[in-house]
Amino acid sequence: MNPDGGPASKRRLPAASVASPHQLFEDTSAGALGRGYAAQQPPAAGSFLAEPVSSFAVAYGTTLASQGKEIVDRNIDRFIPVTKLKYYFAVDTVYVGRKLGLLLFPFMHQDWQVRYQQDTPVAPRFDINAPDLYIPVMAFITYILVAGLALGTQNRFSPDILGLQASSALAWLIVEVLATLLSLYLVTVNTDLTTIDLVAFSGYKYVGMIVGIVSGLLFGKTGYYLLLSWCCLSIFVFMIRTLRLKILSEAAAEGVLVRGAKNQLRMYLTMAIAALQPLFMYWLTFHLVR
Amino acid sequence: MSGFDNFHTDFYQTSYSIDDQTHSYDYSGSGEPYNKQYSGYDYSQQSGFVPPEMMQQQQPYTGQIYQPTQTYTPTTAQSFYGSNFEDEPPLLEELGINFDHIWQKTLTVLHPLKVADGSIMNETDLAGPMVFCLAFGATLLLVGKIQFGYVYGISAIGCLGMFCLLNLMSMTGVSFGCVASVLGYCLLPMILLSSFAVIFSLQGMMGIILTAGIIGWCSFSASKIFISALAMEGQQLLVAYPCALLYGVFALISVF
Repeated sequence: MNPDGGPASKRRLPAASVASPHQLFEDTSAGALGRGYAAQQPPAAGSFLAEPVSSFAVAYGTTLASQGKEIVDRNIDRFIPVTKLKYYFAVDTVYVGRKLGLLLFPFMHQDWQVRYQQDTPVAPRFDINAPDLYIPVMAFITYILVAGLALGTQNRFSPDILGLQASSALAWLIVEVLATLLSLYLVTVNTDLTTIDLVAFSGYKYVGMIVGIVSGLLFGKTGYYLLLSWCCLSIFVFMIRTLRLKILSEAAAEGVLVRGAKNQLRMYLTMAIAALQPLFMYWLTFHLVR
Repeated sequence: MSGFDNFHTDFYQTSYSIDDQTHSYDYSGSGEPYNKQYSGYDYSQQSGFVPPEMMQQQQPYTGQIYQPTQTYTPTTAQSFYGSNFEDEPPLLEELGINFDHIWQKTLTVLHPLKVADGSIMNETDLAGPMVFCLAFGATLLLVGKIQFGYVYGISAIGCLGMFCLLNLMSMTGVSFGCVASVLGYCLLPMILLSSFAVIFSLQGMMGIILTAGIIGWCSFSASKIFISALAMEGQQLLVAYPCALLYGVFALISVF
């Protein structure tokens, strides 16, 4: 009966011989072929979906899934402010190009004030002075990969080193943001700098770090030191000019020197934050370039 | 009759094994749709026939979607089983595997300069990307690198990252399946790269230029499909850069 069905029939035999306790297939073929093939035939896909119970199960399953998705969507806003984050990612290529140029050469830029539109700052797409999160995030990931590359060329690479670099850079970033927040709180500055803004500003230094590491890979230690000092200088100027508008009061921001302990303290704070950047840039890259 | 039984044999042979049967028997009474990979409907003794939408929601890389297509002989099967089966959709359509769309998407990837049609990404099809991931792992195997785990891990993390980024950057959101599908399709040129690695080593200058070119090709087509599907203007390079980072990691695996 089955000339070439030897192995298959052998495989089928155990199932067919213990038909009743292991009857895996309910005969869903609507009795069309009779009970003879009940234990052996696989019901086709359609019949199983056509059964009312299975269609109910399908519907139940989909409602479960959509309910789960709804719950995640509702609650994710509590932990991660998605709409606020969307503002920082509303960028386009022109903005990113200009901002990168500004990060590396901020000396000629005149107007550092973020434009406002009815109390809300304009999206980064339309104003080069607005902070964004695209550049810091991409720069961070690129920094990790370039660090892996640099270690690879020195034969010091292993996949766990990447994780180590990533977590140490992330830890330093968190420390820096927390320190800045603490000092802003202590100096009681009335500013509209949010935490995400601070993360964005602290993340801009990774661009300079990448430039330093790449030049170190291409041109050796002299190239590394040269370009790193240039990037340190530019990020220092960039931070001072950006934070001055946010931390200091209006009068001092316009260049008029206002005497007073409060403003002096704020000026020192701005300079301290800006000076931290080159420090971290050197600290996080010098061990990568030999 | 013997012919019929022969046919039964073939059909049975390729889609079932004792393991499937005993495994699914254990769960036939569970009633919990999403606990196990072989989802426990009351009638679901055949793991191979679970609808793909369910499978995709659980785990994109089950591979179970694949098996039934090899046993696909719809007309002959249905003609034997009577009226219940004649008015059912063919198996591939039910499983959501549309060969025409798969071919279209593959062509879109292979012609990076051709303008992409935004609507082709409307259905998330993970069958094609699965094939490409497996093919990539297979070509790596030919060079002696057994790194399927790395390939899957990196693609999972990369897809997750791209999913978060695209959701934050675009006006309309994306689903994870769509991101995984696009990134999987654009892995096709990377398979070319790793098959070159079989023939000659990629660590020379020629290899570096070839690697850079292929990374650019992959990320360019991925970003092209993404911006046409999500209607993001002026952001193609911004989307291409993280894709390039992801494909760069794949290239690292192939080269080193």
